[in-house]
Amino acid sequence: MNTHRWRRAIAPLLLILFVIIGGCAANQPSRFDQAQQESTGSKATPAVAKDATQGASFNKFFPQPGNGFTRVYTQEKKGFAEAKLNKGDKTVALLSINDTSSNPEAAAKFKQSTKKISGYPTVNQGSTATALLVADRYQVKVQSKDTSFTETDRETWLGKFNLSGLSQVK
Amino acid sequence: MSKSIFKIVDELPTGGLTVMALKSLDFVIPGQWTNPVGFENTIKLVTGESDEALIQQIGDRAVHLYNDKTQGYQRAMWLYETVDSASSALGAAALAGKIGQDVSFLGFLSNLTPKPEKSQSIDLCIKLVVELVAFCQINGIPGDSIGDFVASLGDYSGESLMRMAALVCFDGLIPLGPDFALKGLNTLKGMNPSDLGGNPVFKSVSELIPGGNDGGKLNFITQSFESTTGWMNNFVSSHGLTPENVVNNLASFVEISKDKLEYLGAFLDVSTNYYYHTGAQTLARRLTERAFAEI
Repeated sequence: MNTHRWRRAIAPLLLILFVIIGGCAANQPSRFDQAQQESTGSKATPAVAKDATQGASFNKFFPQPGNGFTRVYTQEKKGFAEAKLNKGDKTVALLSINDTSSNPEAAAKFKQSTKKISGYPTVNQGSTATALLVADRYQVKVQSKDTSFTETDRETWLGKFNLSGLSQVK
Repeated sequence: MSKSIFKIVDELPTGGLTVMALKSLDFVIPGQWTNPVGFENTIKLVTGESDEALIQQIGDRAVHLYNDKTQGYQRAMWLYETVDSASSALGAAALAGKIGQDVSFLGFLSNLTPKPEKSQSIDLCIKLVVELVAFCQINGIPGDSIGDFVASLGDYSGESLMRMAALVCFDGLIPLGPDFALKGLNTLKGMNPSDLGGNPVFKSVSELIPGGNDGGKLNFITQSFESTTGWMNNFVSSHGLTPENVVNNLASFVEISKDKLEYLGAFLDVSTNYYYHTGAQTLARRLTERAFAEI
């Protein structure tokens, strides 16, 4: 009978439907899907440029701590170096240098800058970061990690990096 | 293709056995671990920023960094995931045919055997080495720099510190007792390379352990573990840790039977994945820090 055949077909059809719905629910779109596609497709460019300066080369340009501060290097990757700035037990800031040849859009934001520190274009980012650009390539950034570390403090510490030394790095 | 980093972090649970077991360790390192889950949530927490356009930029850069295999982040994630599933594999056979049944501690008892001490010791040592290698992959220090890793342990906080606390408590104190560090070291020193080569947990991650052949790798694991025993013993003594107080706290979060403790190590191995869970959180934090610094 036709009805009987339809009923026999329904169960597997329903199963397929539930699997599809379940699959769709599991694959909710994300605001980061585009970044995921761009960075994993066959035409993806690496996040870090092949000839980016090694992070180890940047370490010597970080500021000397002193005055109750300590500096702890935390990351040293190709094109990037980072250190924590601690006051006693507390991390009050993050200091970093990165080579923007890996991500030129980071350098582009300095074109709009109206401020300079030691002659280098400077911008604020969000409410916790200030950065400057050396030799159109190396970004030096200070992020506040404690409310006690103000924008003025960030500017002061940016000025303590060996910026002229960094500008000589090829 | 490996799962995206935002999916990994979005899918981290807020409850369940792993989370409860880790919460039971809050008495050791109060307030250090708040179980940050969700990729966007992690970005906001780590950076202190809330501007949506900035969050988007940071997240996009973090995704790009994670997907660049030369940067080592996927290797670190693989290590955390693999060492957890390999040390659970012992229980997999015990679970066969038990699907849908009781997943409580008592439900496991009839299907678990206590793990031999030697096997527990090797697990502890391999997990410690995985932490060292993953640390080097994530932070960029050369993968055989034991000294840099040991120096950095003093600076561990948050989810990284919780992972080490759980290693000491769940993989050290509970199955091996207060002398776990010595037992681990003695096991390693009494092994030959073929003993190691046959161990399933070692085999699962061996390609990323420095040392060349199994003999070289055994040396590396032994040196790494030996260099860390000071930190582990100090962690235990400075926090007044004993198997008893760890189990007592665990019992107030997870239903266990305190008179079947010889099974507890195996139960924790099978039913928790704290290395994967806290490892994903550590990785998300470091990626976020780097991404915000670089944009």
